[in-house]
Amino acid sequence: MQLLLEAIGFGIATGAVIALGAVGFSVQFGISNILNITYGSLMTLAAYIGLLLIDHGVNAWAALVLGAMAVGAVSVIYHRALLAPLVRRGTRAIAMVIVTVSAGIILQYVIVAIAGPESHSYGEQSGQTLHLLGLTLSAGQVAIIGLTAALMLGLHLLLTRTTLGKAMRATSSNRTLARSCGIATDRVSDIAWFISGSLCGAAGVALAITTVSFDFSLGSLFLIPMIAAAVLGGVGQPYGAMLGGLVVGVSSEVAAAVSNPNYKDVAAFAILIIMLLVRPRGLFGAAWSSRRLMEG
Amino acid sequence: MGSPRTWPAPTMVVGAIVLLSACGSSTSGGSSVPTQSGAINIGVVAPFTGPAAQFGKLLGSPCYAATDLINAAGGVLGHQINCTSIDDTGDAADAVPNVTRAIATTSNLDLAVGLESNTAATTVPLVNNAKIPTVTTNGLVAFSKNNYPYYWRLTPSDDANGAAFAVWAVQKGYKNVAVVFQNGIGSEGNLPGVTAAMPKLGGKLGLQLTIPADAASYSSEVARVIASKPDALIWSADPQTTATFMSEYKQLNNGALPAMVTATDSLTPDFYDALSKVVGADYVTNSVFLVGSSFSQTTPAFQTYKGALKADAKTSAIADVLSAVGPPASVYDGINICALAMIMAKTTVGSYYNQYITQVVAPKAGAVVVSNYADGAKALAAGHQIQYVGVLGQVVFDQYHNSAGEFAAAVFNSDGSANRVGTIDGTKVLGLL
Repeated sequence: MQLLLEAIGFGIATGAVIALGAVGFSVQFGISNILNITYGSLMTLAAYIGLLLIDHGVNAWAALVLGAMAVGAVSVIYHRALLAPLVRRGTRAIAMVIVTVSAGIILQYVIVAIAGPESHSYGEQSGQTLHLLGLTLSAGQVAIIGLTAALMLGLHLLLTRTTLGKAMRATSSNRTLARSCGIATDRVSDIAWFISGSLCGAAGVALAITTVSFDFSLGSLFLIPMIAAAVLGGVGQPYGAMLGGLVVGVSSEVAAAVSNPNYKDVAAFAILIIMLLVRPRGLFGAAWSSRRLMEG
Repeated sequence: MGSPRTWPAPTMVVGAIVLLSACGSSTSGGSSVPTQSGAINIGVVAPFTGPAAQFGKLLGSPCYAATDLINAAGGVLGHQINCTSIDDTGDAADAVPNVTRAIATTSNLDLAVGLESNTAATTVPLVNNAKIPTVTTNGLVAFSKNNYPYYWRLTPSDDANGAAFAVWAVQKGYKNVAVVFQNGIGSEGNLPGVTAAMPKLGGKLGLQLTIPADAASYSSEVARVIASKPDALIWSADPQTTATFMSEYKQLNNGALPAMVTATDSLTPDFYDALSKVVGADYVTNSVFLVGSSFSQTTPAFQTYKGALKADAKTSAIADVLSAVGPPASVYDGINICALAMIMAKTTVGSYYNQYITQVVAPKAGAVVVSNYADGAKALAAGHQIQYVGVLGQVVFDQYHNSAGEFAAAVFNSDGSANRVGTIDGTKVLGLL
């Protein structure tokens, strides 16, 4: 029983990291309708930017913020320079996916060419071990859970309580109509890509802190669980993605605690499939109409 | 059953011409044995990119040491020898097209070395079908009995390695062990040996886990291992997985870590760096034991090998690590054995010299025992019979072309190099399986 309780705690910690990335992915899809597979490689890029900063004496948490900002900026450039022109030319959705897969592979190889194939580490960043309500977590894990919760709350307030949030939702709902209403949709789109890219960057550095050791494959390894979390929650639903992340994290850790650890991912994906069979639009699909939050 | 298909005479003639011209495209010569022109190539099939790239470097480097010495001794039958890297990436999906391409496009590809566990199941048949003698470092139990005439292995199978892990753990007083292996053919192959040997040695397997590679967290798995209160971990995983797991172990076990017994495959700078960065160099140098095939470090063969590693700029930086590990030494010995077999066969063509490989290492009355290529070539030129006893000591091939040898345990030094700390009786190990 104690092991099960501990596994739930570990799952919340893992789920928080997955949720961080999944929410960014979900927001990006919600605003642009592009399934951006480059997201995984951008997470890897953030992890390496964090490494560079930490090697130059920057604190790991400051590196997380700076890495997030840097990848946010890269995401805007990536969208403006590559994806937006393709969308304007009427490129089909499946072709856009292939473009993002290709760009992700290229970015991954560039990272390998510069940083090498070997594994890297920020060193021990987890801090002291804390025992809370029967759960065993490191200070680092608690910090990441707190950071994820704070970012989710901030995102919620941004989308629901600010003019910018309303503009983002309007742009997401009907770009042409939003533009005719005087909304600077390109600028709003840039901001949305910056925010989602920053969440992607934060997830990349948080993953590197959590896994302790990482290499160029970091982002691509965790992209699938993140997409699964986003789909589980209902694509385009930030809250759903957050809950999806927790479901994926907790189910995989509980599976590892009570069965063969090889099947930890299998358990998470089995839950995903079952959930989609029952609720095709994801966890938030019924209570929230599709993309409701983004659409207002 | 239909009647046997018959071929029209003109088709047969054209076919025969095509066949003969194809045979003559790479070889020419007299009626007994074919000869080749130009340098000959040794294909080093190993992961040179990807997560296992450092292991590939360990397997590839001895080729330079061996060919440096062979070329300095005048080459083989007048041919200089080159090492040609063939990247298997550690992944069978990449290995098959890369090896197929190399076989088709590399001129005078007369020997293949490396072919490690991750890809051997697919690469060994490819190279064997091309009639290229192969000195493999794979540990797959499936090759302990095989039907590949061009296959040769000078290192133990994985199950024997697993039994050696158990022997070393018990020898060190670790009676209650937890076995944690990363899933994958390379790691899990050790498991049958550990499970067979541990009870026979009076030890206990407290827990046995197979874990996925490169997960975001292993906290739940770590909690299970801690609950089994092991004296030591019998371990096999890549550097990244190891660092994540052991970091969490330290975190959840109030800073305490059990000893680790793992394979000499982990004797890489990447493994040392990844682990020491998260749990400290003291633990890595004092409590991590690397078990694998063994050889004496005082023989003339070893001195020649290490000298060649130190002398080549491409290998000098990792010479100390290389000279402590069995699989690279088997690559070095394998190249020497095959080069001497070429001289005995009077040709560098694999399909001809392959049958002479056992003769190079077999003990014979009146044979000159040689420990390097140059001495062997001289003795053969003088009309003597030879027995090559190299870095790995005496090689005794069984009917399946496997030679297991002895075992030893090593530890990391603080600079990442290795130091042997004990030997394990090979006969005892094989007796436990």
